[in-house]
Amino acid sequence: MIEVDHLSKRYGSVTAVDDVSFKVESGQILGFLGPNGAGKTTTMRIITGYMPATGGTARVAGFDIFEQPIEAKRRIGYLPETPPLYPDMTVREYLAFVARIKGVRQHVGDRVAEVMRKTQTADMADRHCGKLSKGYKQRVGLAQALIHNPEVLVLDEPTAGLDPRQIIEFRQIIRELAGSHTIVLSTHILPEVSQTCQRVVIINRGRVVAVDSPENLTRRLKGAATVLVHSDGPADQVEPLLVGVPGVARVGRGEPVATGASFEVETGQGLDLRRELAAAVVQQGFGLLELRPMRMSLEDIFLSVITDETQAVAPAGETADA
Amino acid sequence: MRNILAIAGKELRGYFASPIGYVLIGFFALLFGWFFYTLLAFFERQSMQMAGGPGGAMNVNQMLITPLLLNSTVVMLLVFPLITMRTYAEEKRSGTIELLLTAPITDFEIIMGKFLGALALFAGMLSVTLLHMGLLFFYGNPEWKPIATGYLGLLLMGGSFLSLGLFISSLTKNQIVAGMITFSVFLLLWVINWVSSFVSPETQTVINYLSVTEHFDDFSRGIVDTKHIVYYLSFIATGLFLTMKSVDSERWRG
Repeated sequence: MIEVDHLSKRYGSVTAVDDVSFKVESGQILGFLGPNGAGKTTTMRIITGYMPATGGTARVAGFDIFEQPIEAKRRIGYLPETPPLYPDMTVREYLAFVARIKGVRQHVGDRVAEVMRKTQTADMADRHCGKLSKGYKQRVGLAQALIHNPEVLVLDEPTAGLDPRQIIEFRQIIRELAGSHTIVLSTHILPEVSQTCQRVVIINRGRVVAVDSPENLTRRLKGAATVLVHSDGPADQVEPLLVGVPGVARVGRGEPVATGASFEVETGQGLDLRRELAAAVVQQGFGLLELRPMRMSLEDIFLSVITDETQAVAPAGETADA
Repeated sequence: MRNILAIAGKELRGYFASPIGYVLIGFFALLFGWFFYTLLAFFERQSMQMAGGPGGAMNVNQMLITPLLLNSTVVMLLVFPLITMRTYAEEKRSGTIELLLTAPITDFEIIMGKFLGALALFAGMLSVTLLHMGLLFFYGNPEWKPIATGYLGLLLMGGSFLSLGLFISSLTKNQIVAGMITFSVFLLLWVINWVSSFVSPETQTVINYLSVTEHFDDFSRGIVDTKHIVYYLSFIATGLFLTMKSVDSERWRG
């Protein structure tokens, strides 16, 4: 549905987006993850035809955004980081205007009522856009993106600035839209990705550093697994035992505990050393109170990917430029 | 065309959703009314004096309507920067430009829509003055043709100013900057022929041709010359073309 091919964007000597490629299948939700200033907004602006790329192509539903902008834009609904509302218009007037410029063929009033129902904004229909709360502004922004029933929705940080309850409601709306729409959403909030997206593109300093499903990303990094070991023995005696187990890469102190000490033991790629670690502790007469593998959260992956691009997660051919 | 009208309608509604439209029309009406009153009082006194003498009745078109229309062009000079300064600057500041530029419409349609919206507001301002003209027709016997050409001239001149103002507004995010530059450029075009007495005859011809007011004089006297129509229409086309180029280059720069 969306094909981004070797896209790059330079402003003078600054490269904002550097050789970015990815694909989104029809009906999927793709999460665009990266720190602030990574090039997420720029990439989205290129896909939506707001600005041209300096290199590469972006195709939406088979239409090149640069060659056939009108056809491509008919199939895209875009919610920018700040919802593009006219403060002096009422919600109804605003949506009717957007419907007209987006070429809605059916009766405009009906279509406006329909999207207001979908985004739960009908009770604000006659309020001026400038007087809405942040949560409602965001929903009207989404209604605006949906009005011409586009195949593709591009949402730039849709939950930024909302309160926790609004975030949950907004995610719910987005999940309901998936299936009938292909969605690209950007965020720098990690749980958002694992909760809503089927695929993740991690982008940093304009480059794609990883593309995969949230589960696969977690699994790929589990190669270098961490095991939590909690023993009741004194820390300075247990630590050398753990270090002595073949295959252990590093031993670090875990969180302080009431009795004994806990350790975070990093093992080499693909090794499961739980058995050996348990034996090492118990054979010396210490009690083993807890032993469990620590799953790496998306957050850890994100940080490790961002801080060190030479990590195993980087796709083949990706070189570090740190 | 549908898209152009949608944008024009939005622009026009935008003027009246805020006090801008009412203030512009209201105060234009106030100033025009004042000019009308003073010129009429002056005309009345002159006619009284002339009535006793030989010359016969005075020409209401020459004595009243022509100066009235010339006076209202001065108001346009002051008011138009206020109309155009927000057109693009405001969209850029509030981010709504992202909506327009990602909608399935062309830059030309957006620009034409904005231009026609502003022109419609100006037509609304002018329509108030039809009331005064009505009064003249009711009590007097003016010729309608010079009035019609006068209004045509005002619309053409207004269109020229608006297209230029639109272009200047597209260059900046800041309304005040847009307003000030627009006003200065308008004023320069207004007074550009002041130098004509010091320069060579060739330069004088060029400078007179550039002057916006020079081309209006004939319209206010009831003369429709293609030369002037071509001047104003090409002025408008140039303004709109420059706006398109400016919006396009803005896209590249991001």
